[in-house]
Amino acid sequence: MSESEYVIETTALRKRYGRKWALDGLDLAIPRGRIHAIVGANGAGKSTLFRVLLGFTPPTAGSACILGRDSRCLTPADRGRIGFVNEEHTLPAWVRVEAVVRMQRRLYARWNEGAFAEVIGHYHVLPEQRVGQLSRGERAGLNLALALAQSPELLVLDEPTLGLDVVAKRAFLESLMYSSAAARCTVIYCSHQMEEIERVADNLVILEHGRLAHMSAPEDFCARVTHWVADVPFKGPQPAGVPGLLQLQRLDGLHHYLVLDQDETFGDFLRGCGARSVQCMPVSLDRAVNGFLAKNHAAPAAA
Amino acid sequence: MARTRALMIQIATGDPRPIGRQIVEAVRMKIATGELEPGDQLPSVRGLAQQLTVNPNTVAKAYAELTAEGWLESRQGLGLYVAPPRQRLSDAERARRLDEAVDRFVHEVVPLDYPPATIQARLLRALGALVPRKRA
Repeated sequence: MSESEYVIETTALRKRYGRKWALDGLDLAIPRGRIHAIVGANGAGKSTLFRVLLGFTPPTAGSACILGRDSRCLTPADRGRIGFVNEEHTLPAWVRVEAVVRMQRRLYARWNEGAFAEVIGHYHVLPEQRVGQLSRGERAGLNLALALAQSPELLVLDEPTLGLDVVAKRAFLESLMYSSAAARCTVIYCSHQMEEIERVADNLVILEHGRLAHMSAPEDFCARVTHWVADVPFKGPQPAGVPGLLQLQRLDGLHHYLVLDQDETFGDFLRGCGARSVQCMPVSLDRAVNGFLAKNHAAPAAA
Repeated sequence: MARTRALMIQIATGDPRPIGRQIVEAVRMKIATGELEPGDQLPSVRGLAQQLTVNPNTVAKAYAELTAEGWLESRQGLGLYVAPPRQRLSDAERARRLDEAVDRFVHEVVPLDYPPATIQARLLRALGALVPRKRA
């Protein structure tokens, strides 16, 4: 079995739906181990990336490898090494829990009953229940338990906690961070919830318009973004001329700038534009990611 | 044999300070106020991670930073302990910083026009509040 250094590797990956490029030259290399969060605006290409990586749909151009294998020709054995949980938690509604578990146990050679029990124990799921009778949180728990019990090398989670209540969400995060099964695999975690990402992620990957926009530890990304408030008389500098500008707001006569990769010289720039006072402060991860994505987010044409 | 002391700290998401930084600052404050004493054992990486619902790697990094700064020491196979206090600055540097701080203080206080005795009394009271709290 090949032991590649990267669990996911794509080169110039492109995928087109009609006139639209969902992936537009994506170069991504995610190293083995730890928990990686992927964020992006709606339509940034996250779900398409997973569909291509898991071989559900072929790329239009470029290459995609998962666990060192070409995504277009994954064998059942390769798939056994990958756990996948998506936001829909899709299992047929009519099937009983015990039947699903029996089937999975037979399908996956490295099935780990202990791991299954460890995760499912957080939820009140009875073996004789049908999937359709489970709540959303219980279905999420069942899916995660099934995925972890296969002892995967790579666990891919697409918005796994969407719509879960606070207790189910916490149980889910705990299973992810502290269960012994999860400790042995690389986790790719796709979410819009910054609060979760801050607690969970070792590494933050930002996709934008089907391309890689940023990858680093979350706190390093946070450090790239700063919030400046300046007292600029009249209109202030043209937004197009403001270096690294992500967001601009005028509040109570003060100009608020959210900027990327600017040091103290940005203060000099503002003073050069006539600012009477200039103040700078760090921002939270939520604010940093929000500002970053807002810059190129779709918006109706200005009136 | 020292037992693990509870580490009563809180972290907040949505704060400009990353969670790792919040842990480092909270532990330092506990040591500075005497709530944690030299020789006290800290929770395990996994234990504190679960207590705060954060990634164990975040806690491990925070502990490593505190150890590098001399606040904590690791005992082989036993875990992490609060290190005995040692001077973290040279004598000359300490004296220089104190001079600077006194200077700043005097400049701020002079224009307020209080009698020196009042200022001294207030200062003593403020410093008194910093004395390490006794454990219950």
